Amino acid sequence: MMWNEYSVGLALVMLSAVISFVALLREKDDLHRLLIIDLVEIPSLAIIALLGTDLAEALILPGLVVGIAELLALSQIYVTKEGLRERPVRSLHIEVVELAHAPIIISALLVGYGIVLTGFTGGAVAALGAIFFLVSRGNADKYELVEMASGIAWAAWIASFFVFMFFPQYWYAGVMGAAVGILIKVVAKMSLVGSMWGEAE
Amino acid sequence: MNEIGGQPLFLLPFGDIFIYFTPFTLTLFLLALIFTVLVIISKPERQIDIVFGGDAFLAKKISISEMRFRRFMAIACGLASMGAMVTGDLFDFALFTSLVGICNVGIVAAVKSRHVQNAAYQYGLVAMSATVPLFAGAAMAAATTGTLSILELARSSASVVPLSVKGLLTLGVMGEGMAPFYAAKAEMFRAPGAPYVIMCSLSSLLIFLRVIEVVLTV
Repeated sequence: MMWNEYSVGLALVMLSAVISFVALLREKDDLHRLLIIDLVEIPSLAIIALLGTDLAEALILPGLVVGIAELLALSQIYVTKEGLRERPVRSLHIEVVELAHAPIIISALLVGYGIVLTGFTGGAVAALGAIFFLVSRGNADKYELVEMASGIAWAAWIASFFVFMFFPQYWYAGVMGAAVGILIKVVAKMSLVGSMWGEAE
Repeated sequence: MNEIGGQPLFLLPFGDIFIYFTPFTLTLFLLALIFTVLVIISKPERQIDIVFGGDAFLAKKISISEMRFRRFMAIACGLASMGAMVTGDLFDFALFTSLVGICNVGIVAAVKSRHVQNAAYQYGLVAMSATVPLFAGAAMAAATTGTLSILELARSSASVVPLSVKGLLTLGVMGEGMAPFYAAKAEMFRAPGAPYVIMCSLSSLLIFLRVIEVVLTV
């Protein structure tokens, strides 16, 4: 059969890729190009997702990470080349968000749910809670600890993979180590996004 | 098996994925390794501007922090190229290639000069849009054949990967490394700091040679 689901999906994704490339071609402003490039990344993830197997799930993660890394690097270059230095907006200046208990409750719920989910998804959910809390309070300047936690969690994640490879009989320890490691790593990494801009002082 | 790169000399299996050296990839790997060592031990060149019509000249200063960052990026670029040379997995190849693209941008982006940063930004946009055909090629190869292993795909005598997929892969590598279009990187090469900038062209050349081998093999 020529037109199975995969072919239809592929045609749709290719079409959307072409549309975003045309938009990229017509846009002349550098900042808008950066935004459109983010849009262009999505079809490439969609093509991987079309595989529809657990392999696709394993491949999307590195694809996504590469895309985010490139986007962060490019936006940093944009900030430097345009000479944008002052970034006065440090937190959301909304009275309700700043003073009420709601951010704490919402953040706690998100972090708790993320811990229950574990893994990458849980990390993303918990990170959302952490970011929301940091943004609404906007008084966090001690990031060294978060960076260190991220590094240690990453090492634990890698160590768990070595357990899988070399000591398969301890797979349960490997699963737990990898799940907790990536949870903490994703939370820490996502909380750091946007806080490590600019030149090192 | 269509052996464009010669018989594999060394195989390290991870499931059906092999890390392997053929005489061809071994040569490229050694080239990347030697150059990475050179980058580690060498000091950056100091660009000289001659004042037109006079005897004066200006040596451009390269700050220690800038030098450190660019050296780190050049080493990372060397490691990524080495990874792209030895991997036997189409998706890993795509990942290493896009890593080479990011590192190439990073090598020049530390230069505090407006035109160099502009060039790096434009190049970064191209490199980023090139991830679409690159990852699409790898994913479509997995969808049509059921495996990502280059050796597994090379096993059958006829080519199992469709031509369009090969085209996408090549297009992606061309975008990441700007491989045959070095003129597009001219502004980037004007950045001071010789050994690091040369890493850009070397890595692009290597990934381009490797993708040709991959496309002809699978």
